[in-house]
Amino acid sequence: MRVTAETQAATHERILEVAQELLAAKGFEATTTRDIAHGAEIAVGTLFNYFTTKEAIVATLAAEAVAGAHRKFGRGNFEADSFEEELFAFVAAGLRKLKPLRQHLPVVLETALSPLVLAGEDDGQSLRVSHLEAVLRLANKHGVKDLSPVALQIYWSLYTGLLLFWANDKSPRQEDTLALLDHSLEMFVSWLNSRLDDSLIKLPNKKELHYANHC
Amino acid sequence: MPTIAELMRALPEETDRTADLAGTREPLAAASLRPVPVGRVRRIGLLGTLQARIAVAYLFYWVRGWFQNAGDREKSLAEAHWKTAMRLLDSMSYLRGAVMKAGQTLANFPDIAPAEFVETLDKLYYDAPPMHWSLLREMVCNELGNDPENLFASFEKRAFAAASLGQVHGARLRSGESLAVKIQYPGIARTIGEDFRNLGLFLLAGRLNKDWEHVKNQFDDLRMRLEQETDYAAEAAMLRKSRSLFRDEDGIVVPQVYPELSTARVLTMERIEGVHLDKFLEANPSQEQCNEAGRKVLRAWCRLQFAGRVLYADFHPGNFLFLPDGRLGLIDFGFVVPLDEDLWGLFARMDRPLTTGRREDLVATIKEWSRLTDAPADADQLRLQVEYAHVCWYPRYCGGEFDFGDDADFRRSLDIFTEMVGKRYSRGRPTSPVMARQQFGVRSILYRLKAKIDVRSICEQEVKAAGWDRSDYAWSGAYVTPHCTP
Repeated sequence: MRVTAETQAATHERILEVAQELLAAKGFEATTTRDIAHGAEIAVGTLFNYFTTKEAIVATLAAEAVAGAHRKFGRGNFEADSFEEELFAFVAAGLRKLKPLRQHLPVVLETALSPLVLAGEDDGQSLRVSHLEAVLRLANKHGVKDLSPVALQIYWSLYTGLLLFWANDKSPRQEDTLALLDHSLEMFVSWLNSRLDDSLIKLPNKKELHYANHC
Repeated sequence: MPTIAELMRALPEETDRTADLAGTREPLAAASLRPVPVGRVRRIGLLGTLQARIAVAYLFYWVRGWFQNAGDREKSLAEAHWKTAMRLLDSMSYLRGAVMKAGQTLANFPDIAPAEFVETLDKLYYDAPPMHWSLLREMVCNELGNDPENLFASFEKRAFAAASLGQVHGARLRSGESLAVKIQYPGIARTIGEDFRNLGLFLLAGRLNKDWEHVKNQFDDLRMRLEQETDYAAEAAMLRKSRSLFRDEDGIVVPQVYPELSTARVLTMERIEGVHLDKFLEANPSQEQCNEAGRKVLRAWCRLQFAGRVLYADFHPGNFLFLPDGRLGLIDFGFVVPLDEDLWGLFARMDRPLTTGRREDLVATIKEWSRLTDAPADADQLRLQVEYAHVCWYPRYCGGEFDFGDDADFRRSLDIFTEMVGKRYSRGRPTSPVMARQQFGVRSILYRLKAKIDVRSICEQEVKAAGWDRSDYAWSGAYVTPHCTP
């Protein structure tokens, strides 16, 4: 039977919905691909046509959540006094969307989002690219035009470190994560400011951005 | 007393300090699974201001005096420990407000601090906004479950006041009420406990000193203060209790709390519109306006103590607002010490000398309070404490109008206090630092108001609320007259 693109998209969406429900109810370890396939009313083999691993499902869920946050943030016309402040709001908006997946993030951080992982076309990579592109836009908006590949890599390391901390944050309402984000961005922007005159720093082109994402 | 130059020389060296601050920038990787270093280097810079460092230096100068009779090696070791402690203290960014308050307390001593110092500290305390809007917005959402723009009709992005552990923003409800929303730095409450454990290790350098107990009391006082100030839920409860103690005719207002918009980290209160003491005095109020303001300050103190059974420990001008209609606003209940049964009993017994003014009553109370005996070793301390108590309290038991603007009288109390500190006469109760601060706080405000008021009549009206049995003693003007000159 020929499967239309529409049916494929619907199945894709259904798998994600079921996975999110099961992850919330049972956690990552206890949720199996068989459970997800059963919940989505498809064969386990069919599930693997859409997602090669359980981790890939979580990565996609995270990517969709963050993409939603990026869109919402872009529409919000957020006005901030500084790059640091707007970057804080941008990251915080992403955290809000990622909240249902918070405890499952280490799975993705060890794989798709890890700064150590090589280039790939999975959702983790698209999340990274879209996130860093958004950071570049914010930087440009505030006149910070010198985000080199090194700067972006440092930022990404801070960001993924924050996500890891957040996933394990036992403080009330994860308030320590807010403090860490504040601290991290202050450190990052202070470093950027201190490097503005450094000739090694220049605006990255698309190729360099790609490199920054995959180095 | 030290001069400003001496204080500055007592500061830890600049180079040491810079190196220490750099050391607080821990690698993110190492920090990822440990408590967050909440303080920010840039914000710590606030402590680097001249005024704040003088306040810290004053503390350093004070503790250095303990070792003046020690051997060179001991002295050197103790100083090294204290400098480390001071640097650590300096790096505890949340102490910004506490240090400011220490500075303001210091500013109550006109011999030490010039007027410019007092004014600068006031500005520094109220005008420093350390959290940006994005962080505040997340804190509000985290605590109250929604963004400020959805919870309030309007919310001012810029803080109008900095609290010691947070900052205060103006807001308005959709129903029109004007609000003050106090928001705390994320994660700071738990950081304090850890920092104080570390600081305590360095403070142990002074444990063999005869004044160790006193230092420990001061230290515990600061820790207790910070712990209390991080619990906005407790402050909200204290605000509600205190508000209920005042009636319209008192002309004293305590802001209403909005519990549905308050948590342990966010405190939403009615915003009271008024001016602080400096502005009030700038408008050249009449003597009667100053007197009336002074009466209200005194009444507020007494009401909280006798009817509320609490010590309002923050008698600082910044916590009082002078409203255009003549009312007085009390706006900060972050540090209020409840009187337990033991203390309440002591206060009840203290009422006798405060009422009669008889010297023997005064001596008996001081001996009990400071655990002094008739032994010759205690004689000088007893003499000074009785003299100090008399200078502080005689406006109450002598009755009649008392001129708090009397410069000589104010200086007299400072001189005795200074002599007691200089002689390390520090024995007392754990609440002694709070009481001393309260005493000087009230006195300082009344001094700046140059208020002329009948202390006894106000205290007599208020003390009735305590419900003490006072049947076997009473005030007699003729009886105390011989004692009524300090």
